[in-house]
Amino acid sequence: MITAGIDAGAATTKAVLMRDREIVGYRISGTAFDFLTSAEKIYDELLLASDIDRNDVEKVYATGYGRNSISFADRGISEITAHAKGVYFLFPEVRGIIDVGGQDSKIIVVADGKVTDFLMNDKCAAGTGKFLEYTAKALEVPIDDLGTLALASSHPAGITSMCTVFAESEVISLRARGIAKEDIAAGLIAGVAQRIMVMAKRMALTDHIAFVGGVAKNAGMKVAFEKELGITLFVPFEPQITGALGAAISAHG
Amino acid sequence: MQPPLKSLDYFQKSYDIRVGQLKEKRVRGTKIIGTFCLFVPDEIIFAAGADRLVLCGGRTDTIARAEQSLPRNICPLIKSSFGAVVDACCGGNLSCAHVQLVDVVVAEATCDGKKKMYELLPEYLPTYVLDLPQKPGSPEAITYFLSELRKFGTYLEDLTGNAINEEQLKKEINSSNETRRLLHRLFDMRRCDPPPITGSEVLQVMQKQFFLSPDQFREGIRQLCEEMEHRIPPARSGPRIMISGCPMSAGNTKISDIVEKKGAVIVVEESCTGTRSFWDLVEEDKEPWTALAERYLRIPCACMTPNDQRISHIVDLARRYHVDGIVYYTLQFCHGYNIERLRVQKALKKEKIPLLAIESDYGDSDVEQIGIRIDAFLEMVS
Repeated sequence: MITAGIDAGAATTKAVLMRDREIVGYRISGTAFDFLTSAEKIYDELLLASDIDRNDVEKVYATGYGRNSISFADRGISEITAHAKGVYFLFPEVRGIIDVGGQDSKIIVVADGKVTDFLMNDKCAAGTGKFLEYTAKALEVPIDDLGTLALASSHPAGITSMCTVFAESEVISLRARGIAKEDIAAGLIAGVAQRIMVMAKRMALTDHIAFVGGVAKNAGMKVAFEKELGITLFVPFEPQITGALGAAISAHG
Repeated sequence: MQPPLKSLDYFQKSYDIRVGQLKEKRVRGTKIIGTFCLFVPDEIIFAAGADRLVLCGGRTDTIARAEQSLPRNICPLIKSSFGAVVDACCGGNLSCAHVQLVDVVVAEATCDGKKKMYELLPEYLPTYVLDLPQKPGSPEAITYFLSELRKFGTYLEDLTGNAINEEQLKKEINSSNETRRLLHRLFDMRRCDPPPITGSEVLQVMQKQFFLSPDQFREGIRQLCEEMEHRIPPARSGPRIMISGCPMSAGNTKISDIVEKKGAVIVVEESCTGTRSFWDLVEEDKEPWTALAERYLRIPCACMTPNDQRISHIVDLARRYHVDGIVYYTLQFCHGYNIERLRVQKALKKEKIPLLAIESDYGDSDVEQIGIRIDAFLEMVS
């Protein structure tokens, strides 16, 4: 049985194809103005690359913020459920998930792949990928390099503001005071990590935790969390696709 | 979709009739009291020959007016209510005519935000504040509240020129109890699976409880119960949800609407626009003032400390109504209900009843985000 999962995220669209519960392929691409067009495009690309005919896909499930726009999907499921299923497929032993995406961050508590509790932060950019994106810009560092740069710091700067707009001006004043770029980068990452840790601790996560979402690709972020929690996090080979993967698994039934 | 309950039209029609009734009564010299809270006993107001209507604001459009005077970070109910008063008294046209219908406001010392807002009201309307002991469990608390109620009675006697006699007060207690019994009948029917009425429909009714006259309201509930008894509701597809937390004043139906649009059915509301308004009856064969003091102090508002009675009540309701999960709703910046959430959550965890906490204001900007959480929660409890 061939199934597909589409994760129509606010910042990126992800698609995963599965055959008999094995991953055949996946695609990740920035979400354009229209969720549906973005999804159609990468879905077609993925089918072509995997040499699978669209008609042979038995079921397509959608998830993510724009899931209701994906008209070719048979059903939509929430991203919370989708991440839990996707992570369970990769790491069955996981009890908690930290998902930091472009526009929100989530803590999900799971037991055998089932969600038992969750917490979301999506009312403001603090504690999300957007915070890092904006402040990296103020630091004039490409977002992909921010984590590696932060790892080189020995004296992380204190970033006191968690408001993205204020943190941006804080970065500028730290730069004016001659603080090293890597120390500011480390301060920014520590700030986001602390914010998300408050949520994780509220949900009483202690061990067997997976880190997913676009921000999980940030090496500095992973180190910051691990330091805070004193454990090693489970990070999938491609941390951005767990939602789409979970949708494809759900479609399989 | 099943056809809407016809009796709900009765409530809408009664609303228009009631506005006219209040205007007329006022012309004939009846004093009309504006209230903001369940702690102000209807029985005493009616026994003094006065009438009342609730002024709690649930609309977002009066908030900007309030923010000219009040800090931004207080709850929308306080801001909306205050904004409506200021607007109405300064010749604005934002608010409905409710404020213009009242002679005086009877406020109550509940949360800090309300107390301090009430201090600003006398500039616009005569205001009387009923004090409340906030550790309600002791005999001294009852004694104190009893003295407050008697003082309130004297105030009303002076205002209306009518003496409150014990017989009339007892009659009013019986009348209010009758309303409470009818609401119990309505809520009891929601224990059925599937329930014969939605939460959004019940909310429409409950928001009018303290606006309509008791006779009008009871007649509506009677009609509604009759109709529900003959209604065959469609099979239930989503989970049974309980709402617990802050009041949803007229104009604010956001959370109930989202929860039910996402496919769940709300079977009970533990709130001022739900069980808190009618759950306990006033003892009828007791000295009426004492009976009132005892009953009203049992209202499990989060301004009380410790509020153990609320926590056990929530657990009890969850069992009684067979709920699959609880949406704990707090108005933004409502510290009482917001902080109390943790104790509620802990008690529910022990009972293995899932809870989703939602904090929101009256605006529409977070409808999508709340929808995402509700979707995930409903999947989790299904």
